[in-house]
Amino acid sequence: MHKHDLDLIAALAEGSLDDETEARALLESCEECQAEYRSQLEILTILSSAPPAEMTELEKAALHRDLWTELRNPSTNAPTGPAWYRWSYVAAGLFVIVGLVGVLSGQLGLGSGDSAESGEITETTSDLATFSADEGSEAPLLDAAPAADGADAESAPTTTMAAEEAGPLPYAEFAEQARIARESSQRSAPTLSSKEDIDHCLEEAGLTDVKVVEELVLDQRYLLVMPLDETSEQTVTFIAMETCEIVYVDE
Amino acid sequence: MISPGNEAALIARVVSGDRGAFDTVMSAHQDRVFSVCLRILGDRERALDATQDTFLTVFRKAGQFEGRSAVGTWIYRIAVNVCYDQIRRAKRRPSVPIPDHVDPSDPAAEAAIESAALRPEIELALSALPADFRNAVVLSDLEGLSLPQVAEVLEIPIGTVKSRVFRGRRLLALQLGNQNTS
Repeated sequence: MHKHDLDLIAALAEGSLDDETEARALLESCEECQAEYRSQLEILTILSSAPPAEMTELEKAALHRDLWTELRNPSTNAPTGPAWYRWSYVAAGLFVIVGLVGVLSGQLGLGSGDSAESGEITETTSDLATFSADEGSEAPLLDAAPAADGADAESAPTTTMAAEEAGPLPYAEFAEQARIARESSQRSAPTLSSKEDIDHCLEEAGLTDVKVVEELVLDQRYLLVMPLDETSEQTVTFIAMETCEIVYVDE
Repeated sequence: MISPGNEAALIARVVSGDRGAFDTVMSAHQDRVFSVCLRILGDRERALDATQDTFLTVFRKAGQFEGRSAVGTWIYRIAVNVCYDQIRRAKRRPSVPIPDHVDPSDPAAEAAIESAALRPEIELALSALPADFRNAVVLSDLEGLSLPQVAEVLEIPIGTVKSRVFRGRRLLALQLGNQNTS
């Protein structure tokens, strides 16, 4: 499907077309297009009916109160975040100063360094995969082991070539498979429980230089991976956890 | 509603330390900031933290606002960045806990909190989206921003916004698994 077709499908689902003739004709001629349209419409319908998210009056009062308390704080350059996070910066700063100099007195300045401070967008998708596991979570977000020669411009072609060789399903077929699996009473238990298992699975799938964005996708059936190199094509690859095969590539 | 020209003037007064001006800006935008933070983070406490952090940044960086975009767009941009920073620090948890400062004697407050929550399966599906797609879908389909507005907030081309919104919806649909191909 061409980009123009996808734009038409999205616009039709959004109800933003003055003339729907071309879009309707496209749907009639293409089963894949119909599946895409149903997805778009389904999600738009669900999300448009979502209730508004508002603070209670108490929350608003607490927000104003806490905000002005923070602004009156002499250390107004403290990094953003919850109180415990700010204190971790203090501890880290003390450690560095003591280690470097050995003798220092007085109060330490705290730098923020957060992207939010600059007001510029810094996309941190790559950092999502480096979190340590939270207690109680079933599996940690893990980085795939990088290829021996490191991430380079070949990472996107490597992912794409592997996807072509493994024969990923078209969207309509994969969506139907996912729906059937989801409705099935027999849910498969997670088959990958360690970083080694995941790395091995990615290797079997022929993927290198990727990051695992989410495990336990679609009822724990798929890994969802993206290229490590954020400047490359941001394909989203679904890997079946049971077979370590590439099932669907979203691009 | 404050006109764009008046909002820019308010920011200028914030720079000079006018507390009243800052309160006015905050009151005008706090609900939208909270809403986008809640939809991105999926956790009420973290969304409240992110809302506070957003306005702290607005106050500290008011001097850097150049007026090239609307104040609301600038504030939205800061909110999205704050949420990115929070996501880096913790895995997104699709839960809506009751915050500590909810008055237990205020049934309206609890009702407001529960009513703002998305259905659990939708929260889970949103949480599984890569951040770029999630943010685009949240801004476009939950916050109701136009594609040009989303492009301005995220500082990406409109074509990229279209692609991320389309693919985000597609991935959400896969997650929800309610495709009816019959």
